[in-house]
This record gives sequence, C-alpha cells and structure tokens, in this order.
Amino acid sequence: MTLAEALRIIHSARTNASGEPFDVALACGFTPLHLQTFFHASLQSRLDRPVRIHAGLFGDLIGNVENLPKGLHGAAVVVEWPDLDARLGFRDLGGWKPSQMADVLGGFRQRMDQLEAALGSAAARFPVAVLFPALRLPPAFTPVNARSSPVALELEACVAMAAACLAKIAGVAVVNRQALDQVSQPAGRRDLKSDLFSGFPFSNAHAETAGFLLADALFPRSPKKGLITDLDDTLWAGIVGEAGPQAVSWNLEDHTQLHGLYQQLLDSLSLQGVLLGISSKNDPAVVEQTLRERNDLLVSPERIYPREVNWGPKSQSVNRILKTWNIGADAVVFVDDSPLDVAEVQEAFPAMKCLLFPKKDPNAALALFYELRDLFGKDRIEADDAIRLESIRRAGEFQEQAEVSGDRQEEFLKNLDATIAITVQPPLSETRVLELLNKTNQFNLNGIRYDPAAWQSMHSAPGALTVAVAYRDKFGPLGTIAVLYGRRTGECLDVAAWVMSCRAFSRRIEHAVLRFLIDGLKIERFRFRFQNTPKNGPARTFFSQISSLEIDGELELDAATFGANCPRLFQKIEVKTPEAAAQ
Amino acid sequence: MNDLDTRLRRCFSTAFPNLSPEAIPSAEQTEVEGWDSVAAITLIALIEEEFAAPIDLEALPELTSYRAIREYLERA
Repeated sequence: MTLAEALRIIHSARTNASGEPFDVALACGFTPLHLQTFFHASLQSRLDRPVRIHAGLFGDLIGNVENLPKGLHGAAVVVEWPDLDARLGFRDLGGWKPSQMADVLGGFRQRMDQLEAALGSAAARFPVAVLFPALRLPPAFTPVNARSSPVALELEACVAMAAACLAKIAGVAVVNRQALDQVSQPAGRRDLKSDLFSGFPFSNAHAETAGFLLADALFPRSPKKGLITDLDDTLWAGIVGEAGPQAVSWNLEDHTQLHGLYQQLLDSLSLQGVLLGISSKNDPAVVEQTLRERNDLLVSPERIYPREVNWGPKSQSVNRILKTWNIGADAVVFVDDSPLDVAEVQEAFPAMKCLLFPKKDPNAALALFYELRDLFGKDRIEADDAIRLESIRRAGEFQEQAEVSGDRQEEFLKNLDATIAITVQPPLSETRVLELLNKTNQFNLNGIRYDPAAWQSMHSAPGALTVAVAYRDKFGPLGTIAVLYGRRTGECLDVAAWVMSCRAFSRRIEHAVLRFLIDGLKIERFRFRFQNTPKNGPARTFFSQISSLEIDGELELDAATFGANCPRLFQKIEVKTPEAAAQ
Repeated sequence: MNDLDTRLRRCFSTAFPNLSPEAIPSAEQTEVEGWDSVAAITLIALIEEEFAAPIDLEALPELTSYRAIREYLERA
C-alpha cells in the first residue's frame, strides 16, 4: 500500500463509513505521521465503521501509555530505543562516550519496568498491541560491526524479556519480530532525514509494514476452521493406487520429507481444533488400507473426518465435506498438488482459500506452511477445541438416529441421557464465549458481532447477565455450544445476544435455557432483540414456535406464553454459580 | 496540462481532499485549510512517492505553494 492509497482509504471512509466511531489509540514517543496513516488505513480497510485514531504527546511514550483515554476499542504501542534512553536516538546529543553507554543499562531497565506496568494496566481495559524496538541501535558501541557489544546485547535481552512477559498477559499482543523481519528489511527501516526533519524515524516502507502488523495483531482476522487436503503427492509422495500403500513416502531417505512436514503441520492444526478432511480421486479401499496399515503417518487418520475418496469432481466432494462440517466455504482451506483440481474447487467455491501444494519446491512449500499457520492462527487452545471433531462426529450420529426415530422422537430425546451444564456469569477469560458470539450464524438472535473491548464493557454493565451452555449426552460431549447475554431489570431480561452452535440443534437445548432462566433465575418477561439476517432462519423458527407469532423484529415473551408452547424437556441441568446472577 | 501537473495535482488532491481541482494551481500554504506542518510533511512524502525522488531538506521551507513545488520539480 502506498501512502497515497492509505490516505484515499481514510478520506473515503470519512465520506462513506457510518455508525459509531471505532476509537483506537496509537501511542509512541515520536511523531506518528505516516505510521498513523498506514495504521489507520489498515484498520479502516477491515471495518465499515469510521476509525478514529488518538495519538499522544511527542517524546513521552510512557506518559502516553499511562494516559490512554477511557472507552477505547484498543491501543497500539510502538516502542523505540530513545523511549527507553534518549541517548539511543538521533535527536538528542547526550553523548556516546563508552562510559555513558555502560551506564545506559540501569535507567533502561527502570524505564522498561515502568512501561511494562503501564502496558499491563492498559491491557486490563482494552486490547493492546505492542511493537518493540525494531530500528538498529545507533553507532554508539565500541566493537567492530561484526561483533556484538555486551551492552547492546543486554539491552536487546531486556527488551526480549519484557516482550516475553507481556505476551503472557491476556489482552496484550506483541508484534512478531520474525514476521516484521520477513517483510520489512532491517537496513531499510530508518529514515534519518525524516527523523531529523520531522521527528518521524521510520521509512515509509517500514511504517507500512509496522502499521499493518499492529492492526493485524490488535484485531486478528477470524481463523479458518477446516482444511481439506488431497492425498497423492500432497499428504504423501507417490500415487498410492499405482505404487501401493507401502510405497508412498514422507521421509528424508526418499527425498520426500516435505510431505512429512506437511503431515506434522496438519497434526498440530488438528490438535488446536482445526477440522481436517480428505478429498482424493482414488480407490477408497486402497486409501482405507493405507490409512490403516501405515502407522508411521504423522497425522492420526482418526483425526481426519470426513474422507471423500472417489473418482468424481473434487468440488462435489468438497461440497459434501462442508455439509458434514456445517460451515461455510469462507472458513475452509483446500490444499492440492493439482492446479486443475485447485482451479475447479476455486471456481465452485470462490470464497474458499484454495492453495496449490508445491511438491517439487521446498521453499515454496515452507511459505505455504507459514501461510497455513497464519490462516489458522490462534493464541490459546481451549478445551472445546480438542473435542470439536469428536463433537461433529457425534452430531452426525445423533442426526442419523434422530431422523430414523420419526414419530418416536419424544422417546428418542428421553433416552439421550442429556445433561446441560449452565455457567452463569462466565469470566471474561472464557474466550469461547466471545468466539461463539462472533462465529455463530444460524441460531443467532441478530447477527451482531462484538470486539473484545465492546464485550468487556457489556460484560460489566449494570444488570448484565451472561449464561454459557455446555451439553453432553450418550453420544458424547459437544462442549460449550450456546451463549445468551442480556440486561436484567427486576424480573425482566432484555436479551441482546443469543447464539447456539448448529451442532446442538434438535435437542431442545434452547428451550431448556429459557426454562432455566424462568425457573432458576426467576425471569418472568423477556425482550429479545431479534433481527432477521440472511442466515438466522433457525432462530426465527424457534421464536415463532414458542410465541405462536410470525417473527420479523423484536419480540416480547412472558413465562406463561413460553410455558404453553414449550415441548417436554428431558435434560438434566447442572448450574455453576447461579447465586450471583439471581441478585 | 502536462504530466507533471497531472501528477502534482493528484498529490495535492490526496493531501487536501477538500481542495477543489480548480483551486489547486493557486494553492498556497497560508490559504489552504489544513495545510499545517503535519500536512506539509505528508504532501512532501506523497510527492516523493509519486515522483520517486527525494526532496532536498534545504528546499523544504520554500515549498509553500503549488507554484513553488512545481518550479522545484521542474528544476530537479
């Protein structure tokens, strides 16, 4: 992105973007100039709302962080060497005497501790992204260029330690230095002319990369959910139908290590909750034999479901996999070594990320592996991630049996041995709650998405009531599958958000949640902030059933009407911390 | 209008989106709303980006109008 393009994005949003402004701070010790422009444009290009950037005072990074205003949606903080000791910059003629440089360390550590404390305090209020010093240290140290100065190494170690500590704090994202190095070449980062003339030390190219990475670290894109892979010359080297199960390989000896690395990556992704599926033009019996007999595979075949192995077009296989997973094409990545198959699937699913596996180019394959890591990037692995695949399998079995049961549905539901575990007021650290609110489409009250700062503010609002719902039955656990959020006034609950994963449909969990709110928390009247969206038909159907009304907007419901329309419920309810919410 | 004018006008309209196209050739720092020190640096950066050429630090204080910048670019 050029500076002109960035400015045009910002100017265009001033005319076209609507809604409440999205307020973000950019705190640094220098004049942010083009960094602010690029950061602003990077954020604006991913939001429909107008973005407002708040910058602080020149020369006072720590003060700017300590004085970040209330009500922000997030803050980006850029630290450079002079923020920790002015002698490490070029605008202060404080001296580069060897004795002074040895003395720099003491004050540097103290300033770093102050900064760490200020960042920790800010992160308790809203998300914070930090870029630690990325410019070269000044020529103030005595060794020849090829040798590191012990003092410079200690300064770098001090920064690295602070970054490592801060990265562990919820709400703090530290910009990945290796990602920065990949795009912004270290030698081209500083613009001394600009630093001396205007106090802005970055080249435009570095400002662009830093602005983009800060925006991405502060508000990451939603990770993809599923990966569909080809087998021959992708998951393994060789054509299994011709060579046989024992002849396909993924090792150094056969020069096919790339495929082993790919398997290793898929294994890691599956353990962080990514769904894996196979789409292969092959003989199903041979593939099953290979997956059964080759116990040296680095990704467990048990973790790959479904497996579409046939001679038909890949797009049809992919379509069936999407139906089984019940997720949209835009949440899925397709990987195949055949350009033809990649093109065919891409044509059928324009929103899907379709990537070619470069089987003969290890460096290109490495770039693919990094790209896959980025597409599925996740800070933390939750308990629900580990059971996602199993839960989809169970849901499939459940649906099959539910369909077979027909008019014996009551008996079927009764025999499920279902338990609903309701957590009242789950803590903010329960990231699955916000994830569900922002990913669920079909059973979704109104489709409104929430950023972490907005959710934090909603969570602590007067009368706020959040319930998170987990479910298990004889088919196994589904994990946390529903969240309801509302504001309580006496016996009335104003419900602003209610979502439930499609995996949990047809079990009357939504009815059980309302029954719990009525019986357990003594809610007598509900106001549901329902809005039609292109995808929330299942929610509309539910509200029509329990209210006996055609629903196309906000809905009021009382306990008696719900009671008259609620079918029989068979689940056992477990409640965590209900007392606090009943106040 | 020659190529230099077209490109320089583009820089001005990006830096000062509220400035009408007709007003650009006579634009002066003292009269254009928003042409403060930060906008001046942004304008210079846009010109450097558009013309892929650095502008001398010594010349900066004099580049306070469309006409002055145009003359500087012609000389460069």
